[in-house]
Amino acid sequence: MDRKARVLGALVGPSTLFLTLFFLLPLVFVLLESFRTSGGAFSISPYITFLRSPRFLVVYGRTLKFGILVTGLSALVAYPASYALVRMSKGRRSVLMSIVILPLMTSPVARTYAWIVILGRFGMINQLLRGLGLIEQPAKLLYTQGAVIVGLAQLFLPLMVLSLVSAMENIPRDAEEAALSLGANRLTAFFRVIVPLSADGFIMGSILVFTGSITAYVTPAILGGSGVLTLATLMQQEAMVLMNWTNATIIAVVMVVTTLVFYLILRRVRPEMA
Amino acid sequence: MKRTKFALFVLILLYLFLLGPFLVIFVASFGKQAVMTFPPRGFSLEWFDKVFHQTMFLDSFWTSLYVAFAATASALLLGIPAAYAFVRHTFPGKNLLETIISSPVIVPGLVVGFALLRFFVLLGNLPVLLGLYLGHTAILIPYALRVVTASLRNFDPDVEEAAISLGAARLRSFFLVVLPNIRAGVAAAFILSFITSFNNVPVSLFLTGPGVATLPIQMLVYMEYYFDPTIAALSSILIIVTVLIVQSAEKMLGLSKYV
Repeated sequence: MDRKARVLGALVGPSTLFLTLFFLLPLVFVLLESFRTSGGAFSISPYITFLRSPRFLVVYGRTLKFGILVTGLSALVAYPASYALVRMSKGRRSVLMSIVILPLMTSPVARTYAWIVILGRFGMINQLLRGLGLIEQPAKLLYTQGAVIVGLAQLFLPLMVLSLVSAMENIPRDAEEAALSLGANRLTAFFRVIVPLSADGFIMGSILVFTGSITAYVTPAILGGSGVLTLATLMQQEAMVLMNWTNATIIAVVMVVTTLVFYLILRRVRPEMA
Repeated sequence: MKRTKFALFVLILLYLFLLGPFLVIFVASFGKQAVMTFPPRGFSLEWFDKVFHQTMFLDSFWTSLYVAFAATASALLLGIPAAYAFVRHTFPGKNLLETIISSPVIVPGLVVGFALLRFFVLLGNLPVLLGLYLGHTAILIPYALRVVTASLRNFDPDVEEAAISLGAARLRSFFLVVLPNIRAGVAAAFILSFITSFNNVPVSLFLTGPGVATLPIQMLVYMEYYFDPTIAALSSILIIVTVLIVQSAEKMLGLSKYV
């Protein structure tokens, strides 16, 4: 028994120690520090002041809105697309799946920069619209909420597709055939058989897309700029531009708590997935 | 069959949306004008040339490479034994330890980098490079743990038991029997971790200091001041390299299973 404990200690100890020292400890330190006033006393008043400020509330509301919109859009596109992928031959599907993950694997700066080329003043869409004579002045497409949502959707759609495909793969083909032979049309069969049976994939995908969207930094930084701040870019601004460590920490706490709430919901709804 | 056709149509649109931007940036990087325009006018390799002659890109490229390599190697060294313990053994406190080791997943990278920065200032301005290394290693450990756990689960423990009952010491059987059998998983973990670290912005954002920046951070800084297609050219190079790595890893290891 003693020997087993020593072996386990050697196996699990180093990583636990590493993360305790260089991950958990700094987090706890930063959290405690944010409650301390310049006099050294502990107080929650900085939290109350900042969390009630319109500056924070506007950004928080906007960030949550982006999260919901991106999740909804992803599901809307990923459901039919995943269905098409699952109905394909295994060989073709695996080729297409290896392409789907590309946005997740490429440099976020490179991927986001592509949208500047498309949405910029002299970018693809503006040049096209002007070439067709539809507009005279370039339209403002970049540094808008729409630009951020499009950029986030490109980044996170793959996660929704991966989650839905792996859920739909486990649905026996017979389930849908049975519904069809009992008189349901394809659309009814899709909504009454495929959608409920792939609910796990949808929940998992939604949590990944939502939490990813509300904490993403590069996309809102490049495509939104200081005009369309989100939690992540507001935090960067508070820390690096305004040098307000306390406010930056409060935003960090809000991000972690919001993310955690969604993981806890998942743990409640689907304990085996968390 | 009509519904399947609609689904197929959406699938094609999805791929256009996901991959179209990469094509656009590739075309744009060959333009002649000093301000990004699309479609580009003229043809020039000037921006590619510029990428390879900017010391800031070259320096930060090496920084990124060192950090990614060191952090990936460390995360695997720390993560593989932990994964092995979690898959093969049950012991008190297992759940708590598993939660600690996978906890970096639920903390946004921005917060990880920020906390390390504040911690380092407290400890007396430790070197930036060390902060980058520690932060990247921390976020990669859960990755390594998850991927290696998945491939350990697919490996029959009886094979290992057979080696041990035939007289091999546990450590020896781990290196001679277990490790060779999970090598695809370990390789996939290495590639995924390396790419994650090399591309990372959030963790690095607060951990860059005078003279030390990773490539993605340097690109962000450059974009604030210049609007020429240099970043498009550099992005094209990065995208092509990524496609080559991901596709060959997919062929050899089935990378997309582990994402």
